[in-house]
Amino acid sequence: MILRAAAVAAAVLAFAGPAAAACGHPRTTLAHLEGQIMCPTCHTTLDQSNAPAAQRIKVFIQERIDQCATAQQIKADLVTNFGAGILAAPPRKGFDLLAWWLPIVGVVAGAVLVAFGVWRWTRVREPEPAVQAPVDPETEQQLDELLAGLD
Amino acid sequence: MRSVKLTGQVVALAAVAGLLGLLVWRLTHQSHPPKVGAPAPHFTAKQLDGGTFDLASVRGKPVVMNFWASWCGPCKSEAAALEQKWQKYSSQGVVFLGVDYNDVSGDAKRFLSKHGVTYPTLLDGSGMIGDRYGLTGVPETYFIDRKGRIVGDHILGPITESKWAEAFDRGIKAALDS
Repeated sequence: MILRAAAVAAAVLAFAGPAAAACGHPRTTLAHLEGQIMCPTCHTTLDQSNAPAAQRIKVFIQERIDQCATAQQIKADLVTNFGAGILAAPPRKGFDLLAWWLPIVGVVAGAVLVAFGVWRWTRVREPEPAVQAPVDPETEQQLDELLAGLD
Repeated sequence: MRSVKLTGQVVALAAVAGLLGLLVWRLTHQSHPPKVGAPAPHFTAKQLDGGTFDLASVRGKPVVMNFWASWCGPCKSEAAALEQKWQKYSSQGVVFLGVDYNDVSGDAKRFLSKHGVTYPTLLDGSGMIGDRYGLTGVPETYFIDRKGRIVGDHILGPITESKWAEAFDRGIKAALDS
């Protein structure tokens, strides 16, 4: 009985051990990373590509996951190998922050411009006083003569 | 109010000019294969076995530059043939360079070991060198003469195919003769 229990325990450890024992943190998954990494030859994310380069990178990511690497470590490895262009979104630090903020600034500026335009277009305008054009003395005299002729 | 309107117009014009500038820049910076007789695009790159390589360092020598990747099927078929050519022409001073394009460096090492490739390999993980040479895929091969100019045919396939095998021999000859 004891031998049987020991055998079962050993079998459980043999199957569960490699996957669970080594990692001190939750494992990331290939599915999680596929949408964040670009295929360098086809310029789509890995989850949308079956190109040979994409397939190979998926294998690399899975190998690193099996080695307990975190998502950040795997991304760092890929950036070292392929450059920052391998990331689908730029890092949120340094100069790359511009890529995150500029669209927001653009949308806000656009909204302000549209609001200003609408405000100007819809506001009630006061009627401007009619301005009488000055009549030169010669014309005035002619008019007086004409009116006098009518009398 | 007039100044606000004027400012708006200036901003709008600046935005349009900026977009036009981007369009022009994109159109003028699209990568094309360098023409025969044109200087080979300069680059520096990390070598797979460490150190940095500068193309200027091989000026004065004929160069065969082969773009490849471990995930590329035809690259496997031509690897042994390229190594044989390297063994044949290295005594004549021809420099062979393998450029590992958009590849995982660990895979590249395994590939070279498996196929017995001994000439230097440069890393082009980001594809920057490939872009400068207007690469359309892998494998592709360029020839550079002693004066640093592109010569011969731009080989667009494995040199084990008969038409590319002939082009390869013509390319080496052009690089050696000029």
